[in-house]
Amino acid sequence: MNNGSMLRFYGWFTFLGLLVGGLVVLGYYKDEYREWKDYQRKFVQEEIQRAATPQQKAIAESTPVEVRQILLPELNRVDRCTTCHLAVEDPSYGGYEQPLAYHPQHEQHPFEKFGCTICHRGQGRATTTADAHGAVAHWDQPMLPLQYIQASCGQCHEAADNPAAPELAQGQQLFETSGCRGCHKLGGAGGNLGPELDKVGTRRSPEWLKKHFLAPAAVTAGSAMPPQKFSETNLEAIVLFMLSQTGQTAPGYYASMKVIPSADEGQRLFQQKGCIGCHTVAGQGGKVGPVLDDVGLRRSPEWMLQHFRDPQSVTPGSVMPKFGFTETEARALTEFLLHLRERNLASTFPSLMSPVERGREIYRKYGCAGCHGAEAKGSVPNPNAKTAEQVPGLIRVAEGYTKAELKSRIVKGQREIPALDPKRPPPPLYMPAWGAVIKDAEVDDLVAYLISLKPKGEDLGF
Amino acid sequence: MMNAPFLTRLWQKFTRSRVGRSIFRVGLPQSNLERSQAMTSSFLLHIQPAKVHKHSLKAGYSLGLGLISLYLFIILIGTGVLLMFYYVPSTASAYNTMKDLQFVVSAGLLVRNMHRWAAHLMVLFVLLHLCRVFYTGAYKRPREFNWVIGVGLFLLTLGLSFTGYLLPWDQLAFWAITVGTNIAGYAPVIGAKVKYVLLGGNIVGQEALTRFYALHVIVLPTLALLMVGVHLWRVRKDGGLSRPDEAGEVVEQIPPGQLPVNKSYGLMELARGTSPQVGKNPEDEVFSWPHLVFREILLFLLVTAVVLFLAIFWNAPLEEFANPIHPPNPAKAPWYFLGLQELVSYSAFWGGVVIPGLLVTALLLLPYLDRKRAGVGRWFARERVVANSIFTLCLLAAIVFTVIGTLFRGPNWDWVEPWRQPPAITEGH
Repeated sequence: MNNGSMLRFYGWFTFLGLLVGGLVVLGYYKDEYREWKDYQRKFVQEEIQRAATPQQKAIAESTPVEVRQILLPELNRVDRCTTCHLAVEDPSYGGYEQPLAYHPQHEQHPFEKFGCTICHRGQGRATTTADAHGAVAHWDQPMLPLQYIQASCGQCHEAADNPAAPELAQGQQLFETSGCRGCHKLGGAGGNLGPELDKVGTRRSPEWLKKHFLAPAAVTAGSAMPPQKFSETNLEAIVLFMLSQTGQTAPGYYASMKVIPSADEGQRLFQQKGCIGCHTVAGQGGKVGPVLDDVGLRRSPEWMLQHFRDPQSVTPGSVMPKFGFTETEARALTEFLLHLRERNLASTFPSLMSPVERGREIYRKYGCAGCHGAEAKGSVPNPNAKTAEQVPGLIRVAEGYTKAELKSRIVKGQREIPALDPKRPPPPLYMPAWGAVIKDAEVDDLVAYLISLKPKGEDLGF
Repeated sequence: MMNAPFLTRLWQKFTRSRVGRSIFRVGLPQSNLERSQAMTSSFLLHIQPAKVHKHSLKAGYSLGLGLISLYLFIILIGTGVLLMFYYVPSTASAYNTMKDLQFVVSAGLLVRNMHRWAAHLMVLFVLLHLCRVFYTGAYKRPREFNWVIGVGLFLLTLGLSFTGYLLPWDQLAFWAITVGTNIAGYAPVIGAKVKYVLLGGNIVGQEALTRFYALHVIVLPTLALLMVGVHLWRVRKDGGLSRPDEAGEVVEQIPPGQLPVNKSYGLMELARGTSPQVGKNPEDEVFSWPHLVFREILLFLLVTAVVLFLAIFWNAPLEEFANPIHPPNPAKAPWYFLGLQELVSYSAFWGGVVIPGLLVTALLLLPYLDRKRAGVGRWFARERVVANSIFTLCLLAAIVFTVIGTLFRGPNWDWVEPWRQPPAITEGH
């Protein structure tokens, strides 16, 4: 044991001890520094400046610097957005810069019940800007750009019901009429050529969707989907509708709140609850109760609401039972009756339509137009198909097929499409077997529609 | 010690006080007697001998690899317990706890990072320790069985790391365990059963998480701790660290029944099997306090510093929430199993069963097959050139396959060169 070696030991102890101590301090400071603390201090400063009385000032000064969060167990979410966005509920912060801005129009979706990420997406648990806004690696839910925020309405509400989301309704309308269902399944209905779209809104970004609609093969190699010619507004609308497809089902409380008392909802209820058994609308229905076509002119909305709650209270001696409608249902039915005149009632009463009209609806509903063109006029390209490298139009099917043959072709489909040049790749589009998808009665209507397409007054030359 | 450092004087003052004396039987040792007493009278120190051979202290011989592995294990227990305060082993909550650790728990991310890096380092250092013991021929008589225990500890380390891999319940965890347990499933007869028992089902799910958690936090650590105890105990009982036979030393078995029971012999670290070293060359031995103990503390500080440094500057990975229907392409096992996965990609049976099975068997039987005593206690001894060459070849092969599996395998396990940007993967229709 000599002093030299002991001194060497002490030297090493000092060096390594300081090193470990230094690293602990460094680790502590790195952990202590969080950017949200800066925002909170800024907010406290602002509050102190605004304070009019010493009491207010004292309250502002004692605001703790701490993580704030909204716990949403039913949604399996924890939203810590309010850790930085401290003034979302304070209208006096309207027009402030983020993160201290007020969030207008949140009355119908109170934060303590909905949080933030259910509509805005992003990463609710995160407490740094980059992570919370979600455009980081390994987080597949970045914040939805504000221009597409209506897509979030579609997660819970029926697109057409929501007067606050017109673009979403437009997107849905486009989806149903552009033939998308011909190849894509949504909510269980549609073809099998393309992928299901039930969760497409969580998997794809707006940019991807846009590119995809304009040139599918450019983003998905080998895609058979034909490029879509949407106008700029229509493109935005269909992208928005796609983004709304998240496959999420609203749990408990949220499911009970999701119905918007719209005229559309009222129309569905009117049909479901069997009102037509007693009342006549558009010449259809029972004779027990009054005809309702003009009821919107005769009665006030308040009267109707009260009537739905308790018919006898406004019409003594009425034989109409108390149906026990919820407040939402009563409001939706009222809305429907008020706007009865402006509405197309055909879809409420399919029996009002001719088979050909129904067939046209079915042609749209299942997306036949996706391949066979609008009004079955054809001209959708199908490279290397013998039929002029296009999917054939159907306006002349009446000349070549009997009804039974047409029906069989729709039900069984045609997997192998004859190729123009056997050396080139086979034509990408083919006719799926629709038997399992389209109901039998619907196929009859569809055939009636197709037969009806034969150009009128044209001499066939026989 | 007139000009002893301030802290030393403070410590001496404390140990001489009434309270200090009641805690420490021996104060800061001043004489050789006290130095040996310090070792034998302290619970924490008595697992080590009072005197050690100078050879054992040579950093260039042992490289401290075994101690480093032990220290990493201690850091892992400490950080692991802290993580357990937050972690919930349920598929619904596990991933969220990872996020909470990162975003709201004080030093949560740092602790998780330390745990992660210490775990990777432990796999590495246990392997390096194994290599050191091989290249110095330290597994030979009388240390054969300690080598076997060491191989067991190596496998336990892999098991600990592997079971911990699943716990964050992200894509990385889910698919690495899926791939890893699939490899286990290739074993004949028992493979499928082992996989089923491990996962509590046919796929990775809540049952698998529960089992991996129980294995990770109680079963395997307890076993490892126990075996580390035995491992260290045997290091002492087998005569300290291996070293070259001293000239003229008689290496002979002491017949049973004639084991010396002399107390001072016991104190002087008498080993069974080889002749007593004590008294032979007393000048070759130094007191454990301070020569061994101080070095150990310094090494612990160094290891802690390295782990802290890594944890401060590099975050442990956390990918997306586990998604059983969207496998990453390629799905890879933890890095230490990627050599195995690479072999499996050629042949599931040969790569997944025969080769690893043979390797482990060879490691376990090694000390009983290779019995010549020449070259013990020296790195790369000329006398051991054949054994060393075979081992080096196996090691190189393992490294090459692991590097290929880690860096050179892209989507569909196709060959990629890491310095080239892999082609963008788009999901086909």
